[in-house]
Amino acid sequence: MNKTAGISLETVFERLALDRIIKRLKELDVPADALTWHRFFGALLLALLVLLFLSGAFMSFYYSPSPGSAYDSVDYALFTVPFGDIIKGIHHYGWNLFLIVMGLHLVRGFWVGAHKPPRQLTWVSGVIILLLIPAFIITGDLLPWDQKGYWSTQVRISIMRSVPFVGDFMVRLLQGGPLTGIVALTRFYVLHILFLPVLLTFLLVIHFHFLIQRGLSDSLSGDNLSTKTVRFFPVMVNRWLILFLCVTLVLGLISWYWPAPLGDPADPTDSTYVPKPEWWVLFLNQLVSIFKGPLSVVGSVIIPGGLVGFLIALPFIDSSPERHPARRKMVMLVAAIIAIAVLALSIMGYLEHHV
Amino acid sequence: MNTQKRIGFIFLLVIAFGVLFILNSNEVTGAAKQAVTAAKIKKAPTGLDDPAWQKAKSANVHFEGKEKFAGKKAAVTTKAVYTDQEIYFLFSWEDTTKSVTKGAWEYDGQKWNHQKGNEDRISLLFEINRINNFATKGCAIVCHVPEGAPNAKEGKFGTSSAAEKGDLWHWKAARSDPAGFADDTWLTVISEKKGGRKGDAGKGGDIKNMTDDKSKPKYMLAPGKKLAKNGILLASDSVEIKDYSVFKPGDTITYRMPKMPEGSRADIKAVSRYANGSWTVMLYRQLDTGHEDDMALNPRKKYNFAMALFDDSGDEDSYDSEVLSLQFGR
Repeated sequence: MNKTAGISLETVFERLALDRIIKRLKELDVPADALTWHRFFGALLLALLVLLFLSGAFMSFYYSPSPGSAYDSVDYALFTVPFGDIIKGIHHYGWNLFLIVMGLHLVRGFWVGAHKPPRQLTWVSGVIILLLIPAFIITGDLLPWDQKGYWSTQVRISIMRSVPFVGDFMVRLLQGGPLTGIVALTRFYVLHILFLPVLLTFLLVIHFHFLIQRGLSDSLSGDNLSTKTVRFFPVMVNRWLILFLCVTLVLGLISWYWPAPLGDPADPTDSTYVPKPEWWVLFLNQLVSIFKGPLSVVGSVIIPGGLVGFLIALPFIDSSPERHPARRKMVMLVAAIIAIAVLALSIMGYLEHHV
Repeated sequence: MNTQKRIGFIFLLVIAFGVLFILNSNEVTGAAKQAVTAAKIKKAPTGLDDPAWQKAKSANVHFEGKEKFAGKKAAVTTKAVYTDQEIYFLFSWEDTTKSVTKGAWEYDGQKWNHQKGNEDRISLLFEINRINNFATKGCAIVCHVPEGAPNAKEGKFGTSSAAEKGDLWHWKAARSDPAGFADDTWLTVISEKKGGRKGDAGKGGDIKNMTDDKSKPKYMLAPGKKLAKNGILLASDSVEIKDYSVFKPGDTITYRMPKMPEGSRADIKAVSRYANGSWTVMLYRQLDTGHEDDMALNPRKKYNFAMALFDDSGDEDSYDSEVLSLQFGR
């Protein structure tokens, strides 16, 4: 089976000095429940991430990061290149689903106390990854150079500018000048396809490092499946590949029936266009509109910053060995208040902007 | 996996995808632009009253008057359907006067005079290549001359650069409809001397029926031929007048004789009816004609277009629509 033209696959690996790595991978055992339904979200996130990287790489072959040609290049990739609309759709729906699953991953982790010792840094690295995702969305949003992306960027830049002391500097750094033009588009593009993916990969390596070293969290039911092991290759790899194929198929079908939207080309002179905040940013947008004038920093920096601080500090605040939600009433109450507030603000924002 | 977990998993996925669809629908994220949605049909409509039109959703498109119609409003009920090969538009609008004169000749017993009156028209403008800011400002970008253009006073049509091209579908009650077509033209860059409007490749348009001294018509209906719709003389049915004594006072002859279009200029076919104070016009064309001077329609895309309505008028005396979005149902 492993022989090709008289040379065995083992020989090829040996010549390539990969034999030891392959042997280790073949003999690697992982907990039996590393990819089961109750640990589904992490594997799904990885599948979505790979899909996002692949679809993004495909689109980058056709993309031209210049205001005069960006829109047309996206239009071409979307409607002229064979299966371009499917791939763009997979990218579009992929990141939306990624955010949802990431939220569920976080909630599930919090629910089962996955942030508790000795897994504090697994949690913290996950939260940092979560914080990086909006940067992907914000930089990616501008790339098609359509009305929605352009004017949404203007709103985000004005919010960024309101940050005391560093706001103007951050805006200048991000868009290379006072206007959102060719330099801004190039910087957003480079951030989106180079710097942010490298940073994300680095953070993922850290996340997996802590995951491997500190182990998976135990289940609340007491079934300690983690003590049983299965081979990483082929059992775990096969499970993940099946998941990957299913996700690709589902997103592909969605993209076929509901092609990813591409709005009108950006018109910087059209001040009548009012961008509508997307679902994931509705609560932040609502905060900004509640706190106006001198209090704007409360909605744009203090509350979101506090929320981030809470998420990062959670393993150190809620550090007791008790993991069952029913016996962690105080922290559950705080989390419920935050969740209800986020949901209420999102609903308010939806009603204000989309209905 | 036990049943409880399976149900939970399915429930979770349904919620996740449901949220995804609701929050990412085009209607939510798109700008507030009136849409004309072409319904997918299997059998092409054969006329204005074909049952296929019942499948299409009506869009009541509003128009604002310009120039001599300033301050006035008009509305056109617009429908669209498409097959695998063709797209069909159906327009109907109120017009108390059927105008098809277009300066026809009338003999008063002594000499030939042009009758007063112009013609009714409707036009659609799409983008072949992207026209900067057309998506947001519509015809204001091309139909009314870029601001500061040297020939702005002449009211020429055109785009700001050669790379920007428009596809103009122009139904004319007197000059194209009698031949069964809408005039298929395109827009390119406006020059110092000329507007940017060009006829598509091939033959078409109309011929001015007049003698060299412009005092009388040169052609009349050829023997054995019949006048076309609305009493219009087609160029292909005409013959040079040899004896002007056959005419009696009150006789009329078409001044602008439509030519039967050929080639790319014959891409847009038309069927029309004027009844009960309203025009009903059907225009249809291949989704993709394969011609460089036409915009190709892909049912997976959305297209910006704008319309203009002309009530017995010429030049820029028109009613203009806002930018519209042509979408395709599935």
